[in-house]
Amino acid sequence: MPPSKLKSIYLSLAIAFVFLLLPWSGFALKIRPDFILLVIIFWLIRAPNLCNVGTAWFLGLFVDLATGGIFGQFALAYTITAFFAVTYQRRLVLFNHTQQLIYVFFLLMISQIVLLIIKTFSGAEALGWDYFLPSFLGVLLWRVAVVFGLNTGGRSRGA
Amino acid sequence: MARRFNQKLEQQSAPAFFVHGPSPLARLAFFSALSLALMAADSRLEYLASVRQNLQALLHPLQLLANAPSRLYRDTSEYFSTHEYLLNENRKLKKNALKQAVELQKLSTLELENDNLRQLLQTNKSIIETSVAAEIMHVGRDLFTKKIIVNRGATHNIAAGEAVVDATGVIGQVTRIYPLSSEVTLITDKSLAIPIQVERNGLRAIAFGHGRDNTLDLPYLPTNVDIQRGDKLVTSGIDGVYPAGLAVAIVSQIEITPDSPFARIICVPTGGVENHKQVLLVSIPHTIEPVKTEIISTVKLEAKAKNPESKVIAIKPTVAKPGVREPTAVKAGPEKPQLIPEVKSIITTPTNNVSKPHATE
Repeated sequence: MPPSKLKSIYLSLAIAFVFLLLPWSGFALKIRPDFILLVIIFWLIRAPNLCNVGTAWFLGLFVDLATGGIFGQFALAYTITAFFAVTYQRRLVLFNHTQQLIYVFFLLMISQIVLLIIKTFSGAEALGWDYFLPSFLGVLLWRVAVVFGLNTGGRSRGA
Repeated sequence: MARRFNQKLEQQSAPAFFVHGPSPLARLAFFSALSLALMAADSRLEYLASVRQNLQALLHPLQLLANAPSRLYRDTSEYFSTHEYLLNENRKLKKNALKQAVELQKLSTLELENDNLRQLLQTNKSIIETSVAAEIMHVGRDLFTKKIIVNRGATHNIAAGEAVVDATGVIGQVTRIYPLSSEVTLITDKSLAIPIQVERNGLRAIAFGHGRDNTLDLPYLPTNVDIQRGDKLVTSGIDGVYPAGLAVAIVSQIEITPDSPFARIICVPTGGVENHKQVLLVSIPHTIEPVKTEIISTVKLEAKAKNPESKVIAIKPTVAKPGVREPTAVKAGPEKPQLIPEVKSIITTPTNNVSKPHATE
């Protein structure tokens, strides 16, 4: 893998942020994958020396700002997710694509569950099972990106 | 820069395999504690309101960038709309305008009559609301709350607490102000309550948002309450936030179960969010300044007297004058100058509504 540049990290995160800011509504809002977390996970696997738990926390703050919720909700969710991604980063690089996919799915779920717990504590109504749809969509997006040639460090079985 | 430099050094000296710096667990503990502290500061102490406002202004250009594609699509589709469509729309609008012009004529004579009657009764004048038109920028991104963001903010003199209305009814209330936009909590949000009145019989109640689906609840009403399916709920206006008489919802379902002393009443809001782009932010002006100072003076007087039933005293002028014709509470009696302003300020808004049924009688 060629060494990653800080500039490309920031650029990709900014693009993911604009995707978040798109005027989603109705069903699209319900299934909207967490673009920013996906990009963070990608960079956590790819370049943990440049993008770490702190980056995730900082971006979580911006997502909090954009969603208009209480400051720190997404920050906490992203921090915990980033921790799990970083802890197993060295193993993750050696996984093949399918194994990586499953792990990314778990990471996305962790973030959603943490958020759900925080929201439940603050008195929000449960949303039902389709609350977890964004994780599935996120994994799908990851898979599509890998098919289109995104190098996540995973090895395909055949190679 | 320093980080970049360090990174270059790292790449040279140590293999990229080993990540330096604090351990992930330490980072997790530090940043989790930080976010928990932030959450507490934001939700309990509300220190971060101004920080949020400023950062939101920073995000505004990004937001405009994100809105650009949909805006472009809308503009181009408007540009390429067919001749036939425009003609039809024009015809429809003209018809509507004619119908509304007739109603408006009636309204102006009614308003005049109402003013005259109020002058005769020496009650205070009905409140004139000011309103600002705004456009919905996007639906709130938090799935747990029902909010929309509109493109009018502090720079357009919008204040938190204003009512938000569209052509078909009440939509919600402005809850947070940013420099160039503001956040509107919809009436279907779980945290928003709106005082309503059943149009058919004038029964007052409070409607709460249901939160999950787009409905409203009317809790705490007894099982024998006089509400039927299809009843129209309008704003009662006693809160001083929403102008009286705006459509809010229509009762869609009433469930009475033997194990509960309360009826379960579900209503569907009449105002649409998904199908409208323009909304109106309505603000009710506060009563004139001198009144406020007078209130303080009465409160002080009462505090001196240490009368436990201070509110009873405040309402006395109406009760003590049974011979006076007016049915409503407010009369500018000369005997107790300190008390009247308080009565006025308390009952200013209800006077409108209370006087309406009387006018029809």
